[in-house]
Amino acid sequence: MPAVAAHLAFGVASSAPSLPAGLLHGPGPMEVMDLQELHPGLWRAHQLTRASGVAWPSGFAALDAQLPGGGWPQAVLSELLLAQAGIGELRLLAPALVDAAAGGKLLMLFDPPAQLSARALDGLGLRVQQLLIIPGQGMGERRASADLLWALEQTLKSGHAGAVLAWLPERLHADALRRLQLAAAQHEGPAFLLREWTAQQRPSPAPLRLSLRAGGPDCLAVQVLKRRGPRLAEALLLELPPVLLPQQRARALAPRQRGVPVSAQPVNAAVPHEAVSGAA
Amino acid sequence: MLWIALHFPHLSLQAFAATLTGELRQGPVALIDNHLISDVNAAALRLGVKPGLKRNTALSLAPRLTLGEADARRDAQARQALVHAALAFTPSVTLEGLDVLLEVRASLRYFGGLPCLLQRLEQALQPLQPSVGEAQIASAPTALGAAYLARWRGDLQQGAHTEDPRALAQLLNRGPVTLLGPAQAHWDDLQGMGLRCIADLRQLPRAGLARRFGPQLLADLDSALGTRPDPRDWQLLPKVFEQRLELFARADSTEQVLQGAALLLAQLVVWAQAGHGRVQRFELQMLHEPRHRSDGVSHTVVEVALAQASADAAHLQLLLRERLGRATLAAPTLELRLRCSDLVLGTPPNEELFPTRQSQQEGMLRLIERLQARLGRERVLQLRPQADHRPECASRLRPWEPPTSQRRIEEVAAPVGLAQPAWLLPEPQPLTERDACPVLEGQMLQLLSGPERIESGWWDGAGVARDYYIAMRPSGALVWVFRGRLALPVAGKHSGWFLQGRFA
Repeated sequence: MPAVAAHLAFGVASSAPSLPAGLLHGPGPMEVMDLQELHPGLWRAHQLTRASGVAWPSGFAALDAQLPGGGWPQAVLSELLLAQAGIGELRLLAPALVDAAAGGKLLMLFDPPAQLSARALDGLGLRVQQLLIIPGQGMGERRASADLLWALEQTLKSGHAGAVLAWLPERLHADALRRLQLAAAQHEGPAFLLREWTAQQRPSPAPLRLSLRAGGPDCLAVQVLKRRGPRLAEALLLELPPVLLPQQRARALAPRQRGVPVSAQPVNAAVPHEAVSGAA
Repeated sequence: MLWIALHFPHLSLQAFAATLTGELRQGPVALIDNHLISDVNAAALRLGVKPGLKRNTALSLAPRLTLGEADARRDAQARQALVHAALAFTPSVTLEGLDVLLEVRASLRYFGGLPCLLQRLEQALQPLQPSVGEAQIASAPTALGAAYLARWRGDLQQGAHTEDPRALAQLLNRGPVTLLGPAQAHWDDLQGMGLRCIADLRQLPRAGLARRFGPQLLADLDSALGTRPDPRDWQLLPKVFEQRLELFARADSTEQVLQGAALLLAQLVVWAQAGHGRVQRFELQMLHEPRHRSDGVSHTVVEVALAQASADAAHLQLLLRERLGRATLAAPTLELRLRCSDLVLGTPPNEELFPTRQSQQEGMLRLIERLQARLGRERVLQLRPQADHRPECASRLRPWEPPTSQRRIEEVAAPVGLAQPAWLLPEPQPLTERDACPVLEGQMLQLLSGPERIESGWWDGAGVARDYYIAMRPSGALVWVFRGRLALPVAGKHSGWFLQGRFA
């Protein structure tokens, strides 16, 4: 059966039942068809996995279509790698966070890199009373403090938080990430790790990894780096809840006549794009 | 009247053993009273050490014997915890030597009869067992009668004697004379006269007995049999819990401190339950070794405050563990003191069988308490909107507080037409300028909307007058910049443009 084996991708879901013995030995053609139905950790390489649990709809249909289970997964970590901080990641996550907080549960933010504006969060539909913020040890700390990782692990393990957002540094022990991934098995809501762009060079146990970069005014380009399913070559361009009025957006999209000469288009802006094409 | 007596034959020894660290406690331990061994634990008994031996004899039998001096104050403290446990069952609690007596006639119906009450009582004494040892419990219609029965045998909890004074008298008749307190001083005389049990004593003429052994002997006997009134002083529950534990060996690590604190916490919970309350906050004081006092630190105080009051010893201990992990101990600890005055009265909330919103909420509170205990209150924060138009003042981070139904949440009317970014820089970042446009990290920003003017705060000395714009970076990310309208003192250096936030 080498042909069938090559045709199947094999993943292990943390809470899945064990495989029946002798599964991989000598199935007939009919059984091949049913094989993927047997275990939630099995899927064909050209398909997305079926969700092992409930997924949290992201609120963006184009993104949901590409995420296994049709939304942000629960009980595992989702890693978001940002080209720059503050490019629209909260607007991307807000619909799922609002869902997760619906039962009066808390949203916990670990080490957010900037001050948060209560008014803006209110505008995104998040209730400020339901936010709990655990600041890091100090601003500009390159390494996550042990206390912060402890708090994050305890929160995930307790399973009482609605959703968890943690801004973690690029450099992180593989052990620390694995511990978090294990702890997340108890967590019902979505759990997001937000890290720097360069962390994509490092391996991670998170089964879902996305990289985000700005894709124009009120737009976000989302590249799926890793998922339980086939690779996705092209980035998704998502329209975020707008900040700009339509005419302002039109102005932003129009070629610039005044103020900015075309030759002054900085070269730096291209760096994220190159990084994406390199990874893809 | 129905009395229950609690007698702890090894109370003094256990109270001493509780001050020892784990491995010493497992080894042979003996208590010395008046130069003679008064009590030994099982390990010492196996080595042949018996009560009544001299110190040197005992040490030659067991060189690794841990010897402790009897300490009346330590015993009284252990007994105090028992009084607290007893006060959860009846308000009528009194002392007889080291024994605790409860009058429970009025409580029987509430607890569902004597057998149920005794069962509950044993459960309540269970957490205190490490510091008091095994209990002998007896019931009788008189206070002294119950105390004598408890000292005599451990199997007299229930029976005919609990109701009927005559049955009690018959039972006591068979008891040894040494049960009576004053008789112990006259042990040799009584022995010589062939008086072994109480029945022998009762057959003798009273006047002669009183002349030989003093009137107290007969008075005690009459009180025990119920023929003489026996008024007593009642114990009251103190408003403030304060217990101390003197450690036998100095505690160098937090683990050793926690071991001692666990005993005190068990007593704290018993006290809270007697008051029908739950603990809101408590403090642990660690007294350090005197020779380290040169640097001025004689004690360390660790305070643990709970978001939701609890009477769960395991939970309190968990919080204390996290809190101690954060504290630095200046010197080895010799003595622990636990103090609590914040008791929340009222019945505890019901426990849930299936997870509900209520239990979910409680789990969340417990998690937050643990985070607060480890990280400190100032690192578990909540965002509070403020009625201020200046972006840097519009939200404040405050230490998290449990939600209460009374608290009014300050509603801030959302300003119309002004889009604000979710992310604000802690300090506005100065930008350079090129061709009348602000420049961020070498990239020219394109102004898309604005100006929106915010002019506020003249009253508190931090007045601002700014024109805000939404600007776009070449990559498409939106940022919030402003241009100050007030003349800048170092205008030559700055362009007047600042970055305030990012639209995350």
